Amino acid sequence: MTESDAIVLETRNISKRFPRVLANNNINITLRKGEIISLLGENGAGKSTLMNVLYGLYRPTTGTILLNGEEVEFSSPRDAINRGMGMVHQHFMLVDPLTVTENIILGMEPGRRGVIDYKAARKEVKDLSDRYRLEIDPDSLVEDLPVGLQQRVEILKALYRKARILILDEPTAVLTPGEVEDLFKVIHRLRDSGVSVIIITHKLEEVRAISDRVYILRRGEIAGERRTSDCTKTDLANLMVGRDVVLTVSKDKHEAADKASFEIKNLNVINDRHVRVINDLSLSVRPGEIVGIAGVDGNGQTELAEAIMGQMVQESGEILFKGNPVQNLSTRARRDLGISYVPTDRQKAGLVLPFTIAENVILGSQDEAPFSKGLALQRKPIAEYSRKLVKDYDVRCASIDEEVSNLSGGNQQKVILAREFSREPDFLLVSQPTRGLDVGAIEYIHSQILKMREKNSAILLISLELEEIFSLADRILVLFEGKIVKEFDPSETNDKEVGLYMTGGN
Amino acid sequence: MDKLLTGLKVIAGVVGVVFWAASQFWGILLVLLALGIHMVQNFSRMDREDAVKKLKDLGMSAFYPAVGILAAIVLGGLIMALTGYDPINAYKAMFYGGLVKNWHISLLNATPLIFTGLSIAVAFKAGLFNIGAEGQYYVGSMIATWLAIRFSLPLGLYILAIFILAGLAAAAYNIIPTWLKIRTGAHEVVTTMMFAHIATKYSTIFVRNNGGDPAVSKHAYVTDAIQEANELLPLKTIIPGANYRVHMGVLLALVTAIVIWYLLYKTKIGFEIRAVGANKTAARTQGINSGRAIMTAMLIAGFLCGISGTTQVLGLEHKMYENLNAGYGWNGISVALLAGNDPIGVIFAALLWGILDAGGQYMARTTQTPSAVVEIIKGIILFLILAKYLYFWFGHKLFKGRKKAAAGEAA
Amino acid sequence: MEFVIELLSATMRLATPIALAAMGAAVCERSGIVNIAMEGLMLIGAFFAAAVALATGSPWLGLLGGVIFGGLFSLLHAWSTVTLHINHTVSGAIINILAAGLTRFFMVEFYGHPGSSDMVQKTLGDLNCAVPLLSKIPLLGPVLFDQSPTVYFMYFFVLFTSFLLNRTKLGLHIRAAGEHPMALETLGISVKKIRYIGVLYSGLLCGFAGSFLAIEYGRFFTEGMTGGRGFIALAANVSGGWTAVGSFVAAIFFGFIDALQLKLQVMGIFKIPPEFFHMLPYAATVIAVAGLVRRSRPPADSGNDFSIEKEM
Repeated sequence: MTESDAIVLETRNISKRFPRVLANNNINITLRKGEIISLLGENGAGKSTLMNVLYGLYRPTTGTILLNGEEVEFSSPRDAINRGMGMVHQHFMLVDPLTVTENIILGMEPGRRGVIDYKAARKEVKDLSDRYRLEIDPDSLVEDLPVGLQQRVEILKALYRKARILILDEPTAVLTPGEVEDLFKVIHRLRDSGVSVIIITHKLEEVRAISDRVYILRRGEIAGERRTSDCTKTDLANLMVGRDVVLTVSKDKHEAADKASFEIKNLNVINDRHVRVINDLSLSVRPGEIVGIAGVDGNGQTELAEAIMGQMVQESGEILFKGNPVQNLSTRARRDLGISYVPTDRQKAGLVLPFTIAENVILGSQDEAPFSKGLALQRKPIAEYSRKLVKDYDVRCASIDEEVSNLSGGNQQKVILAREFSREPDFLLVSQPTRGLDVGAIEYIHSQILKMREKNSAILLISLELEEIFSLADRILVLFEGKIVKEFDPSETNDKEVGLYMTGGN
Repeated sequence: MDKLLTGLKVIAGVVGVVFWAASQFWGILLVLLALGIHMVQNFSRMDREDAVKKLKDLGMSAFYPAVGILAAIVLGGLIMALTGYDPINAYKAMFYGGLVKNWHISLLNATPLIFTGLSIAVAFKAGLFNIGAEGQYYVGSMIATWLAIRFSLPLGLYILAIFILAGLAAAAYNIIPTWLKIRTGAHEVVTTMMFAHIATKYSTIFVRNNGGDPAVSKHAYVTDAIQEANELLPLKTIIPGANYRVHMGVLLALVTAIVIWYLLYKTKIGFEIRAVGANKTAARTQGINSGRAIMTAMLIAGFLCGISGTTQVLGLEHKMYENLNAGYGWNGISVALLAGNDPIGVIFAALLWGILDAGGQYMARTTQTPSAVVEIIKGIILFLILAKYLYFWFGHKLFKGRKKAAAGEAA
Repeated sequence: MEFVIELLSATMRLATPIALAAMGAAVCERSGIVNIAMEGLMLIGAFFAAAVALATGSPWLGLLGGVIFGGLFSLLHAWSTVTLHINHTVSGAIINILAAGLTRFFMVEFYGHPGSSDMVQKTLGDLNCAVPLLSKIPLLGPVLFDQSPTVYFMYFFVLFTSFLLNRTKLGLHIRAAGEHPMALETLGISVKKIRYIGVLYSGLLCGFAGSFLAIEYGRFFTEGMTGGRGFIALAANVSGGWTAVGSFVAAIFFGFIDALQLKLQVMGIFKIPPEFFHMLPYAATVIAVAGLVRRSRPPADSGNDFSIEKEM
């Protein structure tokens, strides 16, 4: 690749203003034929906005886009697609109950008079997957495919539309280390066939592994541009955050108790589609210990958490807390015994968004003293308690009567932590506590979790981010297809090895 | 000073409400005075910034209903003009009839609507659409009629018993649809609707069996009258000058609205209902029994419809008619939606509906404009108030048009 | 034998309005819009079918009028749910209320009184025609092929709806719009447009179903004559797993219950008031919805508001 290669895409002073924020400010980037570039930035830096502008989902407030030197204006994704743009969104744009073929041809179906020629469609998909060596069964339903293959369908979708520029939004977020390697191979093959690729990411490692050049975005502006061959990880990190960052959390040694306070013995769970989602799973957690559950999304994390909290019917097995079986107790009864839970999806499972901070803080203890007396809620104790928690957990808000829907993601998570941690639980289940948060919030939340360990809580941490598991956990259990397949001591292993077990290889 | 104002506020409010309810229209002036004092008191306690914000919010929340009602009146007038009626005269008659001449009818119309509107609002708060409120209204009416025809006791204790029994029966009528909803996910819109049809069908049989037998009775489509001792007292027994038809049920409705407001916002039951309605998953994750909250809400909803029917039978009609489909259940849906499911808002929404109905009838009698015009106006009001986005939409179109024009000029 | 044929023949007839509306519901819900306005749409269709048939004397024009006005009125639901982002159920409820008010208003306007319209001279039911050859098949022949034209239309629409959803480009877009609208939007296809089409389709078919009630099943329009059939059609669609054929089977079940209660009434074996028989279809609906709803999965995004800004 040389400098003289044609510039296929250029943006000139792109700005995008939303009612409350300036998401992109004077963005200038260039992309050459057959080049792979990265857009690096924290959550909320404006990466996705920029990509949506390039893909025709948003119209820029000011600025122009040039394709092959020609000024273009996209009024919808269709325009962008017709001009050879393809995009793989972070949350896949796939219709689950449709087949692979149907998903790929959607919107550009072969056939006449509005009737789909399924035979021709199938053949085209087959040809396409052969040509780019992206094997896939055209007739399987997307919902039956593992995430890696779903991503493949997305890439095929773009290629079917003859994309010359491919945008990948956080493509590795849901993949295992093995799958990531496969994806990189695919990207290289695409590059060799003349496709230009833009990768959006917040992972420094990836930027260096795959791209030729990198643009760093910070608060909606380009904070820098580097060739990946001549910059270090620390350089990139500092550019991205705008201050010096420590890349690894320092963790003090902490002696755990000898005897486990929380145990699961031979747990089996069958979901409502009659699939065994947890398979003979056993584990134990000691007070003062963080046990990390590593695994690829969809291997039983959700079901394990719900079984522990008593929200899913389990088929067999025992859950012991302080030596007593709790598997037949209600969610409420388990909480009352001293189990707390930070769920994965804070907006869906963690908070009632139209409720105020005060109401969310007492959610679940609304019928306990001092918050209620008889039937009536007690305003004063509730207000006092919420004010204290807001202060202790540094929730940034106008008042405790503000609706949590107005808070930022990090502050919403702090409200949940405040509620759960202040109950001083003996067992704490934490699921993906930092999903979608920026570096500052992640640091804070990690430190709070470690604080709970010091207070001798037994902590079970479910996370999809291996980095998070390695920086917090005292022991790592690998979850694969509803089973614990391996236990590791984090000091005696690395992410490659753990990743191998996460995909079922051993 | 503050204490004095508070005292004045309470007195003005209570006196105003009582006289207003007793069909003295000027009562509303006292109520408005009380509200005014209340606001002044609140604002004097706030700092400037908060006060401005609060005023803005208040203005905005008054803006949509005001614009909606005004626009609906204009559109309704347009329809009348297009179909060959005189909208000015019609509206004159409508407002004179609804607000002044037949104000007591407006009140009587609003009374059962307050109960059914509350019923639907409570169910909505739990995330359910009690579209079959009409059925529960019928069940309540039937039980109340049956009990009131047959027995009576002195001292009004029996009336209390009728209210409770009819309410409970109507609440029980919601058990199966709600249970099915919780257990199988069967949608309450379909099931309560079907139950409503079943109840209305049964009411025909009921009327025949309780005096409406065409073979025996002169009045084929009416039950026997209830015993006089079971009739609700007219309001004029405590407030002289009240219209003789206005009964205690009016006050009961107002009190009930306040009770429901308290229940929803100040008790743990209401907290749980609202939590489940706003986010069932989060509520369940926090150990709230969502099935119990939903069932509670639907039982309350049924109970409210039941006492709505009871009030109507004991207070106003003193018997039950066949197929006199007053539609209080259906109209309760509109009332709840109009009020944004706010219990206090329900009072005003029900009054608006009551005024439109009473005014519409007066208008039809005096100007020969069909009273069904009122139904259309109601529909437009609802639509305009619910479609807040409509205003953005129009604004957007307008703005875009201007921008294009400007661009054209520049070119 | 005579009895069985009569019963089953009536089943097909009574299943017709339910099946027609249920086809509309299938397409509408698959496109992502919940349509409880069907009751009101049917009522509007019924009124205009009767009005046009009365004015022109032609049942065919009446049918056309019913279909067109049903379709037009459904655009109000589409506008309020898709463009104005009103909650689907709420919008449907308002439209039902509005439909009741409008038909009452028009009754007074056109005929000077609320209640029922005049009788139409000639109904679609009078045009009953047996299909040659097919109607000679024992049992099935007279049941399926000795019917009025509307019943044949219903067969056609079941097949057409199934074909539309499963084999056509538009059908694929409709299915995608109800499952994952953003996926469709990112491919440059307007979800709003697809949802408008879905609602319009249900409006046209509800207009058809309403016409059936006014000028084939009956001879005139009566206020509230739909009697919950819009909701029963909704239930048929749910019980039928959101597919055309499934909804059709469910509609036949409801038609059968309705036919059965009519027959039982006429036979007079049970000495109970006729109203008890009238309740049967409603009770059957509750049972069907409760028993079958868990077996099928609704379109993932059905009932959800869609706007690009919110999704990103």
